[in-house]
Amino acid sequence: MSAYLVNLGTLVAIFGILAASLNVLIGYGGIFSIAHAVFFGVGAYAGAQAAMLVSPDVLLCCACGAVAAGAASLALAIPALRVRGEYLVAASLGLQMLAVTVFTSGGQVTGGMGGLVGIPGPTLLGIDVSGPLPFLGVCGAALLGTLVLVGVLMRGSFGRGLTALRDSESAAEAFGKDVRVLKALAVALGCALAGVAGTLFAFGQQFVNVETFTLEQSTLLMAMVIIGGAGTLAGPVAGAALLMLLPALLTFLPFVPPTEIGAVQQGIYGLLMVLLMLFRPAGIMGLATGRRVS
Amino acid sequence: MTPVLGIRGLVKRFGGLLAVEGFDFDLVPGLITALIGPNGAGKTTVFNMVTGVLAADGGTVHLGDRALLGMRPHQVARLGVARTFQDLRLFGHMTVRDNVLASTERTPWFWQRGRGASRHARVEAALERTGLSARAGERAADLAYADAKFLSLARVLATEAPVWLLDEPASGLDPASRDRFCGLLRAAAGAGTTICLIEHNLDIVAALSDRIAFLDRGRKLAEGDPQTILRDPELAAIYFGERRA
Repeated sequence: MSAYLVNLGTLVAIFGILAASLNVLIGYGGIFSIAHAVFFGVGAYAGAQAAMLVSPDVLLCCACGAVAAGAASLALAIPALRVRGEYLVAASLGLQMLAVTVFTSGGQVTGGMGGLVGIPGPTLLGIDVSGPLPFLGVCGAALLGTLVLVGVLMRGSFGRGLTALRDSESAAEAFGKDVRVLKALAVALGCALAGVAGTLFAFGQQFVNVETFTLEQSTLLMAMVIIGGAGTLAGPVAGAALLMLLPALLTFLPFVPPTEIGAVQQGIYGLLMVLLMLFRPAGIMGLATGRRVS
Repeated sequence: MTPVLGIRGLVKRFGGLLAVEGFDFDLVPGLITALIGPNGAGKTTVFNMVTGVLAADGGTVHLGDRALLGMRPHQVARLGVARTFQDLRLFGHMTVRDNVLASTERTPWFWQRGRGASRHARVEAALERTGLSARAGERAADLAYADAKFLSLARVLATEAPVWLLDEPASGLDPASRDRFCGLLRAAAGAGTTICLIEHNLDIVAALSDRIAFLDRGRKLAEGDPQTILRDPELAAIYFGERRA
């Protein structure tokens, strides 16, 4: 039971990082991407390969995952610099579908449909942190580090520039903001952090395959950000916790048969989204209470 | 006096429509110049070309000895041309103070040109002068219309840009707010700022401007002092739609 809870806590921390990273794009920058699972995947594969080929040091592997995902973010940055709104959503959808094909046929790099197996347990500066509790500590620290980094950046000129861009791109430019630089930086930062989450996920599962990095995952990540509160620091983590813990909580409901948990979970997700958008459109931690954000 | 901003032969076409046709114009330091004319005359199109929002189809724009055409909007802004918009375009999710602070920041990095303390002092001074200090912590989206107008001006004030292009800056203000607004513009011009404004309220134009350029259908029909332009019966007829140029 305790191992189960520790594992759940680890997943909440990893998905908290992922949601916080997507929030940089959606919540602060207004860059609506439904391809975030792609960068989660790139980080997972890169981190896993680094662990298998070089060293299972979690810092080294997270750096590899972040760099790989940050570099791959150019694939999103290029359309994001040219189009916005629904056009960017469509472009990112294309990227998501393309990436799944690449992951599936990636040969030894991704392990194809079978994925990568035999990822060694993580170490931290030579200390074994592969046990459930130490690894939860690593993931918790990574989440804390992510929140501090995002919080500091978003309270500074970078964050104000991004928010300005989201609220009025033309006014942001008229006050000297280089829109291309801001968008490229936001995409690179968000995707690099997703790469860190991917590496931690690979260590946690000791196995990665394409099924974790599909459109369904990207949609779930977007739901975490919106439900928690886009553009807030704690909101995406709250959204991630809610959506990760919900299935676990449902298993404790005596009147839900185990075979029906998936369907009930989907129904509750859907209902939650509709109710939140109706009564608290800014999300659980959103600034506006019962009011649409202009 | 040497113009700070010189426009020569500016042309803009939208398909078959000639929106601005060979527009010549100078902005002189410390003077307030008004661009007036009926709707669709091309006034905002001129602003958009000068600030790099729209690409011109011909002509030149010089800020001092720097050619502006071909530059992107943020580059023009960094050279010292600040502007406001008819529809304000405030950063609605930010506080009033952050709106003004953001207008002074040029790069996404922590370090900015100019010392942080002096930038923050400029922000507080702009808020004080526009009467927004008490609302500095409120979200811009929650401001009343008059306060939003003053915030739009505060963002420009804090940039300390030498050239301001203001698109209908005082429209919709009550008389007391309008007087306060005009006082701020007069004080800025008195301190050497070059201001060009587009304004439909001719009382404001008469009270504020040192020179007026009259546009109609993309062409400058007249330019001169307010007394001459505003009393010209032919221009008045064009302005009020009773006659076409």
